[in-house]
Amino acid sequence: MPKILLVEDNEMNRDMLSRRLQRKGYEVAIAVDGLQGVEMGRSGDYDLILMDMSLPELDGWEATRRLRTEPEAGAIPIIALTAHAMAGDREKALEAGCDDYDTKPIELQRLLSKMEALLASE
Amino acid sequence: MSDVRSPVSASPETSNDQGRRQAALLRLSTNIAAAGTESEICEAVVQGLYDESLGYDFVAVLLVDEATGDRVLTASVGWQEAPPSLRMQPGKGLSELPLLDGELHYTPQVTQASRYLPTRNEGSEVDVPIQINKKLVGVLVVESNRPHAFASDDLEILRAAAIQAGIAIGRVRLLSAERQRADEQEALLATLADLSAQLKLSTLLQAVLERAVALLKVSHGELAIYEPEKQELVVVASQKVGKKDTTGVRMKLGEGAMGQVAQTRKPLLIPNYEEWAGQSPQYTQVEFQAVMVAPLLMGGQLVGAIAVMDKDPNRQFGEDDLRLLNMFAPQAAVAIENARLFTAAQHQRQYFEELVQNSPVAIVTLDVNHDVVSCNPAFQQLYGYSEEEVAGRNLDDLITTEATRMEAVGYTKQALDRDTVKVISQRQRKDGTLVDVEVLGVPVIVDGEELGLMALYHDITELLEARKEAEAANTAKSQFLANMSHELRTPLNAIIGYSEMLYEEVAETDQGELSDDLQKIRGAGQHLLSLINDILDLSKIEAGKMELVTEDFDVRATIDEVTTTVQPLVEKNDNRLDIRCDDHLGTMHSDPTKVRQMLLNLLSNASKFTDGGTITLEAVRRTGANGGADILLFKVSDSGIGMTVEQMKKLFEAFSQAEASTTRKYGGTGLGLAITRHFCRLMGGDVTVESKPGVGSTFTIELPATFEGPGMIETDAEPAPN
Repeated sequence: MPKILLVEDNEMNRDMLSRRLQRKGYEVAIAVDGLQGVEMGRSGDYDLILMDMSLPELDGWEATRRLRTEPEAGAIPIIALTAHAMAGDREKALEAGCDDYDTKPIELQRLLSKMEALLASE
Repeated sequence: MSDVRSPVSASPETSNDQGRRQAALLRLSTNIAAAGTESEICEAVVQGLYDESLGYDFVAVLLVDEATGDRVLTASVGWQEAPPSLRMQPGKGLSELPLLDGELHYTPQVTQASRYLPTRNEGSEVDVPIQINKKLVGVLVVESNRPHAFASDDLEILRAAAIQAGIAIGRVRLLSAERQRADEQEALLATLADLSAQLKLSTLLQAVLERAVALLKVSHGELAIYEPEKQELVVVASQKVGKKDTTGVRMKLGEGAMGQVAQTRKPLLIPNYEEWAGQSPQYTQVEFQAVMVAPLLMGGQLVGAIAVMDKDPNRQFGEDDLRLLNMFAPQAAVAIENARLFTAAQHQRQYFEELVQNSPVAIVTLDVNHDVVSCNPAFQQLYGYSEEEVAGRNLDDLITTEATRMEAVGYTKQALDRDTVKVISQRQRKDGTLVDVEVLGVPVIVDGEELGLMALYHDITELLEARKEAEAANTAKSQFLANMSHELRTPLNAIIGYSEMLYEEVAETDQGELSDDLQKIRGAGQHLLSLINDILDLSKIEAGKMELVTEDFDVRATIDEVTTTVQPLVEKNDNRLDIRCDDHLGTMHSDPTKVRQMLLNLLSNASKFTDGGTITLEAVRRTGANGGADILLFKVSDSGIGMTVEQMKKLFEAFSQAEASTTRKYGGTGLGLAITRHFCRLMGGDVTVESKPGVGSTFTIELPATFEGPGMIETDAEPAPN
């Protein structure tokens, strides 16, 4: 059962997405801000990280950059999730080290296919 | 009236008397010779004859006023009541007799009836004509209280006295006429000198008037110019008329003395203004009596009128006066006409000078050597240089920096080469600061000759500032819309997500009736989301931040995806969707998300505006012209309500559905087609429409199969197709 780390500050989004992913058979751990995300992620215990970009304490881009420097977590696929669909967001996320990018609101099927693609390539 | 031609009475005188008479006559001659004026001569005559030795009781000289014909009592003695300068109408009394026939008249016995001056009831009188070269100019009147008082030698003495007086007066008149002519010559010469001196018109006319007043020896004068466009005279020179200066007074044609002259164009002489019926209401409180007005004519055209007046009630104007006044008329007329021409030219020049002087745009003129000829106040204000500081200096040396010098010299040369320059640049002020300016350079060519150039500098600092502010405001707006849509989408996210999640759970637990309601919540949420997305898209397009993400994708798969999505909407209005695709649509390299979004827009529009009809999606791949990239055509037709030509015109503009009621009836933001067109153009294609009201509409999207655009395209609100 793949272990997913969901870094998301919005309680409802967190709750909803984690429950829907669990129902699809994923094990979901939760971090509520960027710092906690880096803290939990650096252990390398996860198969994939879903990273919200606008986070308190440390934003998603910075959190991603830091995780990429961690020896244990550097290779974990990260999907950026953002409501900012403005120009450059995608490039910005990829530059920070994200493997893919999806916009909120989440279309579960679309997200699942992106997740599955990344998990399969491992 | 007695008419006695020869002395008849016996003479009572002695030889001693005779001697005294001779002495008196000699004295008389000496005094007459010493007299310098007519009145002095007359005074000498009457004083000389009023001598004890002669025994006359009253001696007077009446002179004829040539202008009026009046007999003027110029000198008298022995009659205390005689008022000075008493005037008498011609034709009455004994003194008239010599003026009729030029002979001496002796009346030994005066009767009341024969008297003109009613002082005595009896006595005798001699009236002797005074002549100048046979011309009768006056009468010497000598009276005695006694009848038959004059002997023959009395008559000889009086005759001799009258002859002497005539000669003396003749001499004086000749002298004064000569002097007068000299004065006239002088006045004329002075006026001509004034004319050539190009004095200000009012000054010139005032001088002309003053000269006329002096020469005519009158107390007042006035000169008016005729303004043909207003048909009015306006007083421009005034000499003591009225209590205040009458300059500026206007008179209609026919109003007052001047107005009458202007109308008739003939001179006018008014003996007594106070009694004259034609008075102007503007000239009722006046000091003068006699008035003379002459028109000023130039080639038969009226240009003004000149008037002289005198306060002396005895001053009567005659032919001579009119001749003198008329002497000034042509001079004044020429002056007025010259001034009019000069003023017109000057006015024009002043007009243009005012334009330049008051222009808010800095204007500088250069000669052919690029040196400053003149500059206006706006130039001085903009650059901080005074006109003296820049005159004669090379403009480009003054207001450029090293960075702009070459460019400025080039522009100056360009303008001198008869080519207009219009650029935006920076120039340097005197204090070294830089100013953003719009520069306009134009050659100055007069009669085909290049005189230099004119440069205009418009300070655009504020304009640039305003543009920056506008850009900042626009960015702020876009940012606001982006933030706003983010804020809206976050709760929407939850609504859609939870309803979807619940729907899944409900489906698993088979609670059928709940799943319908949950679908409605999800549907409404999705709808709201699509509206927000549209607004966000448009704001991105307007901010020039719309991003294209190009990749290879299968066209047919994309169409299937879209039709699946739109199917529920098609069925909602009992429509049927007909798909007609080429077998070989192949792949496209473009932005698949946007292609999807455009097709969805068109199909959902077609579904909305069609009821129980057919919607057709046609897709064709066409080989590009001249070996260019292939073209993909997506055609969405419906059998819906259609549109008029008017409606089609505004179709692709943001926020425009056919009318407000349409929005209420069919929903939507009215942004879909605007976004579709922007997307099409971003991707190197376009969208077009054909429609007929009541028949239906066909939208055609045309896109290149391969679009290698930049990742992000700066767009205007309405970019041109690539």
